[in-house]
Amino acid sequence: MTIGQMTDMRTIYGKTLVEIGDENPNVVVLGADTTDSLKIADFGKKFPNRFFNVGIAEANLVSVAAGLAMSGKTAFASTYAIFLPGRCVDQIRNAIAYPSPQDKNGLNVKLVVSHGGISVGADGGSHQQIEDIAIMRAIPHFSVFIPADTVAVGKLTRMMSQKYGPFYMRMTRSNSPIIHEESQEFEIGKGITMRDGPDCTIAACGITVKMALDAADSLKQEGISCKVIDMFSIKPIDSELLEKSARETGCMVTCEEHNIMGGFGSAVAEVISEAYPVPIKRVGVQDRFGESARDHEIPLLLEKHGLTSINIAKAVREIIGKKKQ
Amino acid sequence: MGLNYYQIKKNVRKARKLVIKATSSAGSGHPGGSFSMAEIMGCIFFKYLRFDPKNPQWEERDKLILSKGHASPGLFSNMALAGYFDTSELESLRQFGSRLQGHPDLKCPGVEFCGGSLGIGLSFSIGSALAARLDGKQTRIYTVMGDGETDEGQVWEAAMTASKYKVDNLTAILDRNFIQQDSYTEKIMPLDDELVGDNFSEMWRDASRWKVGDKWRSFGWNVIEIDGHRIEQVDSAIKKATQTKGVPSIVIARTIKGKGVEHMEDNPKWHGQAPKKEFVPIIEMELDSQSMIAPSIIAGDMTNLENEVKRCVAGRADYIHLDVMDGVFVPNKTFDHTKIKELRPLTVIPFDTHLMINEPVKHVRDYISAGSDIVTVHAEVCDVASFGEIHDILKTNQVGVGLAINPDTELPEWSKQFISKLDQIIVMSVVPGKSGQKYIESTHEKMQRLNKILSEHNFDGYVEADGGVTLDNIGACFVDGARAFVGGSAIIGQQDVRGIIREFRNKIAYARRRTLIQKAFDLGGKELVAKWIDLHIIGEKKNQINQIAKELGYV
Repeated sequence: MTIGQMTDMRTIYGKTLVEIGDENPNVVVLGADTTDSLKIADFGKKFPNRFFNVGIAEANLVSVAAGLAMSGKTAFASTYAIFLPGRCVDQIRNAIAYPSPQDKNGLNVKLVVSHGGISVGADGGSHQQIEDIAIMRAIPHFSVFIPADTVAVGKLTRMMSQKYGPFYMRMTRSNSPIIHEESQEFEIGKGITMRDGPDCTIAACGITVKMALDAADSLKQEGISCKVIDMFSIKPIDSELLEKSARETGCMVTCEEHNIMGGFGSAVAEVISEAYPVPIKRVGVQDRFGESARDHEIPLLLEKHGLTSINIAKAVREIIGKKKQ
Repeated sequence: MGLNYYQIKKNVRKARKLVIKATSSAGSGHPGGSFSMAEIMGCIFFKYLRFDPKNPQWEERDKLILSKGHASPGLFSNMALAGYFDTSELESLRQFGSRLQGHPDLKCPGVEFCGGSLGIGLSFSIGSALAARLDGKQTRIYTVMGDGETDEGQVWEAAMTASKYKVDNLTAILDRNFIQQDSYTEKIMPLDDELVGDNFSEMWRDASRWKVGDKWRSFGWNVIEIDGHRIEQVDSAIKKATQTKGVPSIVIARTIKGKGVEHMEDNPKWHGQAPKKEFVPIIEMELDSQSMIAPSIIAGDMTNLENEVKRCVAGRADYIHLDVMDGVFVPNKTFDHTKIKELRPLTVIPFDTHLMINEPVKHVRDYISAGSDIVTVHAEVCDVASFGEIHDILKTNQVGVGLAINPDTELPEWSKQFISKLDQIIVMSVVPGKSGQKYIESTHEKMQRLNKILSEHNFDGYVEADGGVTLDNIGACFVDGARAFVGGSAIIGQQDVRGIIREFRNKIAYARRRTLIQKAFDLGGKELVAKWIDLHIIGEKKNQINQIAKELGYV
């Protein structure tokens, strides 16, 4: 795979699960009638005894996974984003995050979802989860990841299978471009600096990392040099890198395919306002819902919600103007 | 192997008292639902659940998932009795820094599930059961759910899932107490049938209106419906569930919320409220007052004892008293263990076998294998060695240990070392040997003497009154301390066994209420008596109790 190549996150997720399943007989996978779509059905074909499709019953999905985890299994439970945090916050909180055996925090369940954000497109606003970061990062013990490409998906899936604890990982529906080298390491709680520059920091996650890179490239033409960081680990968040970036660049733009309230931008603002306050501009969905868009129209939908490299570049110019001289 | 009836019964009684202690200390909590599931929990903990309190994480253990987590006092009290922690810790319930949280929590070693948000436990249990199957473990999962809890849609998601995956290493138990927080379940969200009016006791009795079982059956479950306060029924239901392969099993246990404390029973108010401290000693006394009726079938048709057993079962006896006479220890001869073995398949009701025979130590094994749940032998034909042996054999086989004394016998010196281990003491109030004799009045004085000795030696079993017990003297026997009552011709000799047993119970209830009012008066005078009466708001209880207080001159 090469940089820029368009690949499918779910395919890599499903493939990695099968590899993990081969290596670790303790891994079980659960789905809720979306197993073909999530590409976890292959795990089921290979390991039928360790695969459970509970039907369209997400609360049950989450709680059965918790029971398996409590008995020593590493449980991956997957469906669409809208049906997990959006539907089952109580079960996620009370059956997975809250129970803490011995000196551990929460149960060993990995909630991996697809179809995060508005880029779901055609299914419409009812199926576009723009609240999951806010929900999931507010639940103690959970780690929250939003990978930007399939390199991240593969490595994070593997990492979650090896590290104890409750994790949430959101994938995107459409193919997305590879932005990381195959050799890139992903460490929990550590952002990845993709570009360096003194004028502004662009902190992004998921599909907006590519937009941020494009914005930085175009700003370069104007003589504005940005630092771009991939903050795939939303929780724990890399406070150290954020503070350092704030000190070095004096202003910041955050990008997320999520409501700007309570989401990634809010998380960054929480860190920066306490550690080293600088002006911040949050690019994201402006507290409203999405709508249908066919695949070729998804760029229009993203544009409507300000999720374009052009809008990010605009935000950078604006926030640089507010920098303390 | 016996039912372990008295051990379970004693623990259930202790657990209920601990629930009162815990919730009254906390000033809040859920006694009602803890009491409705008390027999279920007692049976699971002290008969079926395999666990090691010294090693709560023992890999091969069974798991008890309390899905109706608000009843945590009912879980914690049993855990304390099972040895997970000292019973005194229950006073820390709901306190800041305590392991005993308001709802079950893994903070307390031995707790398997953080219950409380209702509707999750069955799904969680399925996960645990599937994991056990994957690992090839013999682990069995017991999941206790509330009936109000099954309003939650997730329960039915789980019901389907358990069916699909043929989860047969899980036994679900529905504590069907007919009350949820707001009111009666059939008013809030009918599970059986919509309730019109306020009296739901009729529905409790009218099996044609029960639909909960059909719901579960239609989801593919093996459904076993029982009276959840009868230990023998809970026991037999769990046994059946365990033996059922290929489908999940649920025991639908009809229970009474607040069972054991009259003013809490069937009163939605006691779903989530703790008793005031001033009432605790009275409530404890009430919990110690649970009584059993045991008809003696030899008073009936000796040529058709099968029919007599059936009459007892239909009459709702607590257990059946079997008088074995050998024609040597007593002049008469009745039957021996072969007859008991023939009668055993007729019912699961405990068999209370009273051996009026010589050299019981030689025969006790026969009576165990015949199916006795309690075996009582006579002090007159035992000594320290033989009774020690009998005691050990009975305990090993989960059979209750009883010691009987004749009217002219006092407790022998050698028996005193066994008193704290006895499940039952029969104080004969007629000369044994035949049915239909008159109660010997001096037994009342004898009981006064005995009670002193029993309490000095930490007796925590049950005194059984046997001989000439009638409607006229049963109240006095209760006051003497008897909690089990053998009725010969007075019960079996009657046409309507069920009716006469009900009358016996009413007489006991009267005596109990009177004792409790006396206790209230001793503790807090007329003022506390008045408060005590005011607690009894359901049905006719208040008027009846008020009447008794008037008779005593306390109103």
